[in-house]
Amino acid sequence: MLRKEFSFLLVLSFVFLMVGCSSTSQSSSGGKDSDGKVTVTLWYWNRSLDDNLLAKAKEQFPNINLVAQKIDGNSYETKVDAALAAGGSGAPDIVGMNGAARYIPHADQFVNLLDLGASDIKNQYLDWKWNYAVTPDNKKLIALPIDIGPTALFYREDIFKKAGLPTDPAEVSAQLTTWEDYIEAGEKVKAATGVKMFDSINRVFTQYLGQSDSVYFDKSEKFIGDGGNVKKAWDIAWKVNEKGLSANLVDGTEWNASMNNGEIASFIGAVWMKKVLEDAAPDTAGKWRIARAPGGDGNHGGSFLGIPKSSKHPKEAYKVISWLMNPKNQLQSYKTMDLFPSTPSVYSDPIMSSKEEFFGNQNTTEIFSQAAKNVKPLYFGANYDTVNSLFSDQLTNVANQNLDSEKAWNDVQKQVEKKLSR
Amino acid sequence: MNATNTQEVTNNVQYMKPVGKGSLWRKVYKNRALYLFISPFYILFLIFGLFPIFFSLYLSFHKWSGLGKMEFVGLKQFTYLLTDTTFWQSVGNTFAIWFLSTIPMLFGALVIAFLLNTPLLKFKGFYRTAFFVTNVTSIVAVTIIFKSIFGNHFGLLNYVFTMIGLNPVEWLNSGILIKVVIASMVIWRWTGYNAIIYLAGLQSIPNTLYEAAKIDGANLVQMFFHITIPLLRPIILFTVLMTTIGSMQLFTEPQVLLGNSGGVGGAGVTITMYMYKQAFVDNQYGYASAVSWVLFGIIALFSLLNWKIVQKTGAK
Repeated sequence: MLRKEFSFLLVLSFVFLMVGCSSTSQSSSGGKDSDGKVTVTLWYWNRSLDDNLLAKAKEQFPNINLVAQKIDGNSYETKVDAALAAGGSGAPDIVGMNGAARYIPHADQFVNLLDLGASDIKNQYLDWKWNYAVTPDNKKLIALPIDIGPTALFYREDIFKKAGLPTDPAEVSAQLTTWEDYIEAGEKVKAATGVKMFDSINRVFTQYLGQSDSVYFDKSEKFIGDGGNVKKAWDIAWKVNEKGLSANLVDGTEWNASMNNGEIASFIGAVWMKKVLEDAAPDTAGKWRIARAPGGDGNHGGSFLGIPKSSKHPKEAYKVISWLMNPKNQLQSYKTMDLFPSTPSVYSDPIMSSKEEFFGNQNTTEIFSQAAKNVKPLYFGANYDTVNSLFSDQLTNVANQNLDSEKAWNDVQKQVEKKLSR
Repeated sequence: MNATNTQEVTNNVQYMKPVGKGSLWRKVYKNRALYLFISPFYILFLIFGLFPIFFSLYLSFHKWSGLGKMEFVGLKQFTYLLTDTTFWQSVGNTFAIWFLSTIPMLFGALVIAFLLNTPLLKFKGFYRTAFFVTNVTSIVAVTIIFKSIFGNHFGLLNYVFTMIGLNPVEWLNSGILIKVVIASMVIWRWTGYNAIIYLAGLQSIPNTLYEAAKIDGANLVQMFFHITIPLLRPIILFTVLMTTIGSMQLFTEPQVLLGNSGGVGGAGVTITMYMYKQAFVDNQYGYASAVSWVLFGIIALFSLLNWKIVQKTGAK
């Protein structure tokens, strides 16, 4: 009697198990679903795509059943890697990438978008951004651009005024053209007000590299970070530290508090830092301005959409991503989500421009769109993140301990060599 | 037919005592319904527990970025590990934090338990809950609060320091102070938990001993050191072991407090954090697996050491 009930429960639980399995396998089975639609899955993380736009895409493509899955940003890359490594049904048809560099050596795991006609829409996008997703041999494109992160100088107009520096964005850019000018101005600010010009030397280093045309690796993946721009960026960061112009802050509550208390006169940041700053420093509203950055225009951040090779519907997936990322929709995403378009044709659209109260009614889009068109092409290399974290850790040490310049540099070079030898 | 049946029966009788392979399976088959009921755990454990364990062992002999092909490298990951100064630094950090947290924590727990056990105390239930609550709060939330308390420039503690005329301390810019901050989080979180375990132990100590001591004129401190501590020894050793295993696996506190870099000069990088960084930041899954197996070795060695001590004291 009891046994019968038990076995009934057991059978029931197995049924649930089977149902659970079959529902996932259904979406990946080849051909069409029962309703005649093709299912295309898309993975993205919070704020990487505009949710409204994804909802609209479902209307745009009545024959495609677009399943957009928002995945926790912290475990996003791990999950994507696992899905790609496993191949087959586990991987989505469309995958968001926070930077294409680390996938370039694994271009064979992605559909070459040039085979699907991507070259026809190439001229819509910024060249440098497009090329981030192109293999060194120029034969493959692994993803389409989503947004970009053009950089500019964020500065406190009132503090600049007190220090006798120009306050108008155009004049600021004219006077602070190089990093040397920037440091000199920093000394003036310090002398006149005691305020630090820079928030951290890590940012100085990162932003210098963001303006460069080569960083740690050349196109043959050879390490070139033992000199060149990396050394120049290092020296500038060192100089800022030596002169005591950096407040030595780490991102987070300390950074927020310092910004809000007006202890930092400026920093170079990407367009998405506008929002970060507005949230961090509400008390300084109206005092900030944005100008073209000393040292040149750069980029920091911005993501991509690619199609894994295991996708059974690459054509449909391509249709979806090329629509999602067309200029009109990027414009919309900028308006709703602050995702700065990678399609320069929309920069002149009136929707892009507005007077921003936080920045003293400046139209900052003007600055960022000029910067965006001016970013130099750059090859990151597959090990960019690994090497970059070694340099940035070492700079944290430089900022907080009394290190010898040459020894600190040699140490980090040794660490890189050891890591790359693995 | 008859003949074979009797054959089987005699076979059964013969193998009944030392459980042979055949009869074990037969027993399993006989109780198949019960085994089916407990099978979900074992099936899940096989997939999500046992398989990853062995897969990580397999991985530790390979080089793998998580994408692309695995490359067999033999013992190279382990030899690299031996010469990896950052790894040894993380081992040192872990032990330093363990040392800084364990002693004050367990001592504090013992004192709390002793006070909770005094018959005169009122609202015992409230105190027990209050001390245990720290253990069930979210580590991430706690860490973020500790981060604001120990902030370099705008920390609560530095605010208090300047209020009473002391110089502010850059807690998170010094190798030793970083460890102190991490240890303080561990202490805050686990003291109450250990106190409850000690309390259970204390309640098994007969009251007559304390009464006898009182008649002999012993004070509270004497009773604590001469009755409570000796009789609690096995429980103390148990908590030391659990604390050690826990400390060796310390991860969330330093990671949330300092980020993946582990703070100034990597002073807050623990072994687990280092392993995490190798796998999920640098995408060196093979190397991370090697680190995890060495970590396993260290914990096993420590536990063995502790077990020996328990045995020794048991024999006394």
